[in-house]
Parts: sequence; C-alpha cells; structure tokens
Amino acid sequence: MLQIASLEVAYGGLRALDRVSIAVGQGQFVAVVGPNGAGKTTLFRAISGTVRPVGGSILYEGNDLAAVPAAQRPHLGIAHVPEGRQVFPSLSVLENLEMGAYTAAGRARWQQSLELILHLFPVLAERRRQAAGTLSGGEQQMLAIGRGLASAPKLLMLDEPSMGLAPTVADMIFERIEQIHRDHGLTVLLVEQRVAEALESCDLGYVLETGRVVMQGTHETLMADQRVKTAYLGL
Amino acid sequence: MRQSRSLARDLAAIGAIAAAFMVVLLLTESGYYRLILTLVVIWATLGLAWNMLSGYGGLISFGHAAFFGLGAYTVTLAMVKLDITPWIGIPLGALVGMAAGLLIGVPTFRLRGHYFGLAMLAYPLAMLYVFEWLGYQEIALPMKREHPAAWMQFSDQRVYTLLGLGLMVLAMLASLAIERTRFGMALQAIKQNEAAAEAAGIDTWRWKMPAIVLSAGFAAAAGGLYAVVLLTVTPQSVFGVLVSAQALIVCLFGGVGILWGPVIGAAVLVPLAEILNGELGHIIPGIQGVVYGLAIIIIILLAPEGLFWRLRDRFFPVRPQVPDAPAAAPQAAGRDAGRLAATRKPLLVLKGVSRSFGGLRAVDNVSLTVEEGTVHGIIGPNGAGKTTLFNIVNGFLAPNSGSISFDGKDIVGQKPSRICRAGMGRTFQIVRAFPRMTVLQNVTSGALVATRHDSEAEALALWAIDLVGLGRAEAGQTASGLTMRQLRLLELARALASRPKLLLLDEILAGLGHAELEEVIEAIRRIAASGITVLIIEHTMHAMVRLAERFSVLDHGALIADGPPAEVTRNPQVIEAYLGRKWVQRAADRVA
Amino acid sequence: MQTIGVVGMEGAMGSFELFAIDFLQALMAGLMVGGTYALMCVGLGMIFGVMRVVNFAQGDFLMLGMYGAFYVATTLGVLALLGPYAGPVVAGLLAGPIVFVIAWLLHRFLIGRVTGVAALGAEGEGHYAQIILTLGIALVLQNGGLILFGSLPLSIPTPMSRESWEIWEILVNQARTVRFAVAILVAALLYLFLSRTRLGKSMRAAADNPQAALYMGIDVDRCHRTAFALGCAITGIAGGLIASSQSFQPYIGFDFVITMYAGVVLGGLGSILGAFWGGMTIGLVQQMSTLVLPFQLQNTAIFVVFLLIVFLRPHGMFGRSVERT
Repeated sequence: MLQIASLEVAYGGLRALDRVSIAVGQGQFVAVVGPNGAGKTTLFRAISGTVRPVGGSILYEGNDLAAVPAAQRPHLGIAHVPEGRQVFPSLSVLENLEMGAYTAAGRARWQQSLELILHLFPVLAERRRQAAGTLSGGEQQMLAIGRGLASAPKLLMLDEPSMGLAPTVADMIFERIEQIHRDHGLTVLLVEQRVAEALESCDLGYVLETGRVVMQGTHETLMADQRVKTAYLGL
Repeated sequence: MRQSRSLARDLAAIGAIAAAFMVVLLLTESGYYRLILTLVVIWATLGLAWNMLSGYGGLISFGHAAFFGLGAYTVTLAMVKLDITPWIGIPLGALVGMAAGLLIGVPTFRLRGHYFGLAMLAYPLAMLYVFEWLGYQEIALPMKREHPAAWMQFSDQRVYTLLGLGLMVLAMLASLAIERTRFGMALQAIKQNEAAAEAAGIDTWRWKMPAIVLSAGFAAAAGGLYAVVLLTVTPQSVFGVLVSAQALIVCLFGGVGILWGPVIGAAVLVPLAEILNGELGHIIPGIQGVVYGLAIIIIILLAPEGLFWRLRDRFFPVRPQVPDAPAAAPQAAGRDAGRLAATRKPLLVLKGVSRSFGGLRAVDNVSLTVEEGTVHGIIGPNGAGKTTLFNIVNGFLAPNSGSISFDGKDIVGQKPSRICRAGMGRTFQIVRAFPRMTVLQNVTSGALVATRHDSEAEALALWAIDLVGLGRAEAGQTASGLTMRQLRLLELARALASRPKLLLLDEILAGLGHAELEEVIEAIRRIAASGITVLIIEHTMHAMVRLAERFSVLDHGALIADGPPAEVTRNPQVIEAYLGRKWVQRAADRVA
Repeated sequence: MQTIGVVGMEGAMGSFELFAIDFLQALMAGLMVGGTYALMCVGLGMIFGVMRVVNFAQGDFLMLGMYGAFYVATTLGVLALLGPYAGPVVAGLLAGPIVFVIAWLLHRFLIGRVTGVAALGAEGEGHYAQIILTLGIALVLQNGGLILFGSLPLSIPTPMSRESWEIWEILVNQARTVRFAVAILVAALLYLFLSRTRLGKSMRAAADNPQAALYMGIDVDRCHRTAFALGCAITGIAGGLIASSQSFQPYIGFDFVITMYAGVVLGGLGSILGAFWGGMTIGLVQQMSTLVLPFQLQNTAIFVVFLLIVFLRPHGMFGRSVERT
C-alpha cells in the first residue's frame, strides 16, 4: 500500500532522512522504532506532505504522493495521528472527532465511525461536550486516535502515541491500537520510542538511527537482536 | 564591531551625501523644490530616529508621531507662549521627546509583540485628542520682523535645508556610533532573539531604554524643525497616523537596520510623493498616501528588508575577509582540567528541584551535582524534562521548589543575563546567527559580556573560534549559508566567548553526520581540557558515551540513574525507560 | 407657581433626578453605541482569532462599508424602494457582501502571501510583515477612497437618526436601537455559523492548531481567507449601518481603529465572544465618560482604558494566551 523508496529529507544542512526505504503492505502493522532524533517524525511529515523530500519517492497505492498537496492527502485515506496529540483545544471532544471526519469518506461513514470510536474509548463518550484542552494526556491521546479513525482511513499513522503518558496509560493505548488493527484489518504504521511495546504487535519492524534504516525484520528477530539495544544505548 | 567597513569610509560616505545634498540645493531655483529638499532631510531624520529603536532593536513602533508631535508643539508653544526662540526651542523639544521616550519606554517595554506595537499606536492618537481639546487646532508661528535670524526665520529657504541637513548628519553619526559599538550589537542580539540575548549576558533593559530615548530625542528634534519650516502646526499634521507611517515606511523602503536606509527611502519617496501631489493633487487628492501605501506594499512583498539590502546583495556581495589579528586566550585559561577534576569541587548543585506546569510534573525532585572540570551528561527519552531542567538552571524558569547553587552561590530567581555574567554559558538548539555579519562578528557578540573594550572582545572571540576548530578563513565568512557543522561550531564559540566556567550544551550534536559529529566531539573535548566544565544534553547515546564521564538519566521528570556510562547503561530502570518494560521482562525471561 | 420652599426642595430633588436621568441616558446611549462597536469588534476579533493578524486596515473596511451602503441606498435606489426606515438598514446589510468580495480579493493577492501557512515557519520579522502590509493597504484604501469618493462628507439621509423614542424621560435614539438589534442578530448568526456549520468549525480548528488542521485535510489558507473576508464584511456592515447616523469621509476609518482594538483587547485577543462584550464595554465607557469628562475627550477615555488593559491584564476578559513564541 505504501512504498517509500530511498527517501531523503533535509532541513537546511541537516540530513534528517538518508535514503530510507520502508514498505507497508495492505492490512499490515508496521512499526518504526529508533532513538530520539532518528528521523521518525520527519518520516511522517514527509508522508503527510508538510515537508518536501529532496530525494526518493513515496508511492501510495501506486501513486506518487509528490504530486498531491498536503491538504489533499487525508482525502486519499491517510490519517495522521500527530506527535503530542495536537488536539484542537477549544473545540469539544465531539467537534474534534467531527473535524477528523472532514474528508468525504469520513462523512459518509460518520455514524458508524462514531459508534466505533465511542465503543473503543468510552471515556470520550462521557466527555463528549467537554473542551478538548481540558482532557488528560491519555484522554487526549484517545481523542487523537479517534480523530484519526473518524476519517475512515485506509492507512492509520501514529506518531509516538506513548509520549508523555504514564506507562499504564501507554499500555492501554497500545492495546487499543492492536485491537483496531485486529478487529478491523486497518493498515497501521506506528512510530515509537518504546521499542518493546511497538515491536510486540507489529508484523514488520524497522529500526531507524540518525536518519538511516539500520535493521528490519519481524518482531521476534528484532527483539532478540542486540543491535537494537545498541542503537538506543550506544554500547 | 564592523570589521568589514572602515570608519573612514563611512564618514566619507556621510560627507559625500551631505555634499550631494548641498550641490542639489545650490542647483534648485524655486522655493518649491527647496521645500521638498528640506522635507527630505526632515523625514530622513525621523526615519533615522525610528531606525534607532525599531530598525536596530526590532521593537516596531507605530507611534513615533508622539515624539515628533511633542517636538513640534514644544517649539511652537515655546515661541508663542514663552517667547523662546526655536534655536533653544528645538533642543528643548528634543529633551521633551527624550523624557517622553523614557516615560513611554518604562511601561511599554514590558509588552511583547503585537501588544507593544498597538500600545505605541495609541500614544500619539491620545495626544492628538488632548491637544485638540486644549484648543490647539491650529497654531501659527508668529512672524518676527526684527532679527528674524534669531528666531530661525530666513527669507532664503535654503538655510532651512542646511539646518535640516545638519540634523540629519547628526542623526547619521549617532546611528553610526550605534552600529559600530556594542550598543548596536546588543540591540541586534535582542532583535534576533531576546531570550538568547539574555542568556548571553545581555541585560536587555539596559539597552532598550537608551535606544528609545535617543530615538525619541531625534524624532522630536525633527518635529521641531518641521514646525519651524511649515510655520503652522495642527494636531493631525504632527500627531497623525501618516507621520508614524512615514517614519516606518521611509525606513523599511530604503533599508531597515542601517543608517543609509532611511536616507535612501526619504530621498526616493518624499520627492515622489510631493511632486505627484503637486502635479496631480488637485485631480487626485490623497495621492501622497497612495504613494506611501503602495511603496510599502511592494517592498514588503518583494524586498522585505528594504532597497539598500536588496541592491547590496545583488551588486556588491560582501567578500569574506580573513581576520588575522592574534587571539588572546582568557586569563584563567591556565587551569588544568585534570587537576580540577581531581579536586572534585562541586560547581553546580541542584537539590530537590521541581517544576510543574498545570498538572504536569515536568521536573520531579531532581538532585544532582556537577563537578568542576568534568563533562556531565543529561540524557533521557523524549519529554523527560531535560530542556525544562536546563531552562531552570539557566534562569528562564523558576523552580517550584528546591535550590540551585552555582559556584557556591544560590542562583534561584536570578535573571539569565546575571547568571551568564556569573559564568554560565549556554548554547541553543536553534542557532540564530546574524545572517549579515561574519562568523567572527557573531562570536564577538558573545564576548561582550566578558570584556570592557570592543578590541578585547574580538581577541577573545578569535580565541574561541580557534578553540572550536573553525578556520580563520571561515571566521571571515558571513553567517548566512553556513553548513550545519559550521553553525554548531559558531554557536559553541559564541557561548565560549563569554568566558564561562560552566557551559550548558543543548543538543548540540543533533542531526550531524558522522564526520561532523567527530569534529564537534573533538571540539567539546578540547573545551573540557581547557578547564571549562561542561553539562550536555544529548539524544545520541553513542556520542554521549564517548564524551561524558558521568550521566544523569531523567525519565518523566525524575532522576532514575546517576553515574559513569557503563554503569548507567546497564541499569534496568534506564533500559526500561528507553526500551520499555517488556524488553526488560523478555531479557529476564531469556536469561531464566 | 410654587412657594419658594417647595421650589427649593423640588429644585434639590430635581438635580438628583436630573443626574439620574443623565446617568441613565448615558447608560442607554452607551449600550446602543456599544452594540455597534460590538459588531465592529466582532469583525476584528474574528480576524485576529483565526489568523492572528493585526489588521490596520480594519477601520478602512468600516469606511468601505459606509460608502457601500451609501451607494446601494442612493445610486441603486434601495432608499427610494424601501423607504427611509427600512432602506438604510437594508443598505447597511448589503454593504456586507460588497466588503466581503473586496477583502477576499485583497487576501487572495496580497495578504495571503505573508500570512497563514506561508508564515508558519517564519521567525522574527516574518510576522511583522503582516502588520506592515495591512498598514500599506490602509493607506491605499484611505487615500484611494479620497480619490474615488471625494472629500465631501456624505451620509444617508434618514429621519431615524434624529428621532428618538421616549421611555420615561430617557431618549432612546431610534437609529441606534435598530443598529443594536441588527448587531445582536448578526453576532448571533456568526455564533451559529462558527458553532454549527462544518466550515465554521473548521475555521476554529484552523485557528486552534493549523498543523493538525492540515492533517485533517482542512484547507487552512482558505479558512484564513474566509475568516478575513467575513471579519471585514461584518465590520463593513457596522459601517453601513452607521452611515445613516453620521457623516463620513474617506479618513474616518482611523477614528475607529483604536476603538476596535480597545474592544478586542479588552475582551481578550482570540475570543470572538470577548470581542463582542469588549465592544459593548467600550461603548459604555465612551458614553459614560461624558458624565465626567468634556465631550471632546471621550475618545481619550477609550485610549486610557486601552492602555490600562494592555498593561494590567493583556489577556482581557475572555482571552487565551495568543502571543507568538
């Protein structure tokens, strides 16, 4: 579904991504892990279109995304759950979800999506009229994921959903993500710092380090490989 | 500071401009054109005045008419009510203006961004209404039949132009003085990034106040002369929005932040507007406003910094000069890092430091000690509170509880500039270099806090540049168009130039390629060897492991490990923080 | 008529009564005037709330609204068609779409180039470009207006501006009351638009977090353009309505800029509801200040209030922190 080939992104003189190649097949759960500054968020930005690559290509369902402007990409079915939640603080929970359903596909399936989201995250139903800015970190993360689901996406991209969350809350979030993937066959691309959690449920994993893919494989192979640990702890 | 421009050349240029004006003056026959010329120099002076505060300092004022108008009314009322000649009235007006600048500056500088501009807009308008209410709808300066010269009344228009020229030259000299000294450099630093300037030891207050006072004084003097030339003053003509707008536009159009800019702007726009008004004013009233409006729209869209910079970049790009002055190592450089480390004297001690934002505990009861002469690393996953901790240590944030002592003294609650002067330097993640200045000049801005004389500052800067490994040729390049490596080394040198005892490095290695990383690591090693204590935040463990003798690991704001690298990286809590609990479990399972 | 004693007592009570009447009169006038100011401020508040742009030209869009209404009323004959009571009001409302189109075009070709997504990454001088550009536009509009419309003060003739209803002993100016009612209506419509319609919500989302809005597929630039045009149009309607009560000329815009900013800042930059209440309050301050200050200083009272707010409570009544970092 998503083919990233030799992608290169640079910010000024800073090489954020260096010939990165990642493939996400339909219905797969792919995890990209790596320490801070490895380029994970840059990868997402390139897929979303808020950053232009200087080399390589991104093919989505066979089409080159370079021709598609950023505001158009969600309409193709790419949902981006951004780093740090990025909810709309002054809009209510329900309104945030409505914004998620801004795309045509989202609007068509709005009722079903809403039911699904509220079933997955009952606390959002409780707080539906509350301003999103007043929710706790975990609740905001649920809202952000719900917002992503509301667009009835084909590809769900999650950028460090565990960031800033207490471990138990993060665990719960990961469980839900797994559930979404399992029960609905949604294609998931997950980027995470917490390696073990990320690799647990993935079909395929990639390890990024300073902008390069240094390893790839199934979650078993990656978890067992010492190089992953080295990438993080430098020893 | 301006190595690339010699003083003699600048003075000669000023002289040439003055001479050119006088030649044009001699050639004009009609009073009409002489008046235009007089207006050019008056508006140029106002533009120069605006430049002093808003061009150099970045504090955009939309209300310079306040000072202009006060100057005009001082001269007028002094003459009408108190029988004081404008020869005294204009300097008096300048003083009134300066006082107004002081009074306005004190409260208004506390405002940021939009609010500052809006407040400045309000002052002249308020004054306008007050003066109208006071009954001064229109005051004319009385004609003096006897000794008109003593009352600054001349039958030959050209004398006014010469007076205006004199004032303009004075303003240009003042601008030159600002540009060439640390005053200008401090203002530039404040304009670029006020926070970074504070951290570099620049007491922003101490520079902003003189800037507004000087600016107001010249603006008021220009207003005073304006009153004398036009002979009538109405509130609208001197306090009105068009006056403030003209000050701004003349400067932005010609070139902001440089003394030639307002002169160019006035020389182009004033005759254009006046002549068009003269020719077409009766068919197209208000053509003046349209000219100024269009001028500013075009400039903002096409050449936002003004004509001067656009032309200079295009036709006279600055060639790099290699500085060959000797570097002067700072006095205390004789310290030996090894000896210092052996003494294990604590330089920075944090005890129980905590800080929350709303409900979020960003820093949670952190206690650590950084020993003199060591390289100490702070590491942790994203969002662990590292940068917040730095901001607290540096003085940008106050901790909710806990104590911090630096070199034996408690520093909680002190301003960053003061902490910098006490010997703490810091680099910032986003390097904001002055793009039009050379690397050397950029680094010198960091040396201001540690030196009294500008020449000392430069020598110190050269030492810093040599130490970090930037070549002398690189030092002469302008800062725009530097590679990432050069920018990082520049930032490092700038922080070094303040002669710190403790250097805080905020992710200085982020995003560097392999070779570049090596270089910067080497530079940091050299710095540490010279006796400076280093506290470094980093993401890349690889580099940290090679640099730091001691690590503190933060997670969710709390300290979870503290010790030498080998120990810390084997600590299960650390592993859990980075790789997750399940990793540790699995590792345990595998062993079991 | 009365004996001296009774005259004396009646005189004494009379003066308190007179003051009470003056007070209530000023209060009433303040509310009515406040309604119009509230409408103006809502327009400006919208622009600032969604785009974070300080628009110097706001007063000139007010002026365009006045002229728009005038031409609709006279040249297009609306006044003749609908009579002197409904005519000016309708003309005022019709000024809205006219100003909307002008503002839309200005944003499309000029302002949009230095704001919105283009300016997201701009540092330092970047955001001054917006303010200064609007200053240039203000100058062009004012003086262009002078060229197009001439300097002769105009006004839409209608008896409403002189007639008042009398409630107890308080005179309530008819034109102002009508304006007040229209102001409330327009503000209510705007509120509904922003809270109920998809476009309105997407505009609020774009204001809250432009990056995230892009991720939702919201065209942030178009939201900004709509907000700008709508904000100017609303202020234009306020102008169109005032056109029947006072004479105007092309420079009138600047008289109102500080009033509008005072109202918006008082209400809290970033809050449209706040802008509404801020405008009302400014109207009250202006009118009530005539009780203690000479008439000509009523605007100075506004400035003083403005400066006080800016110094003491920049967030205003309902404001969120909107400073750029």
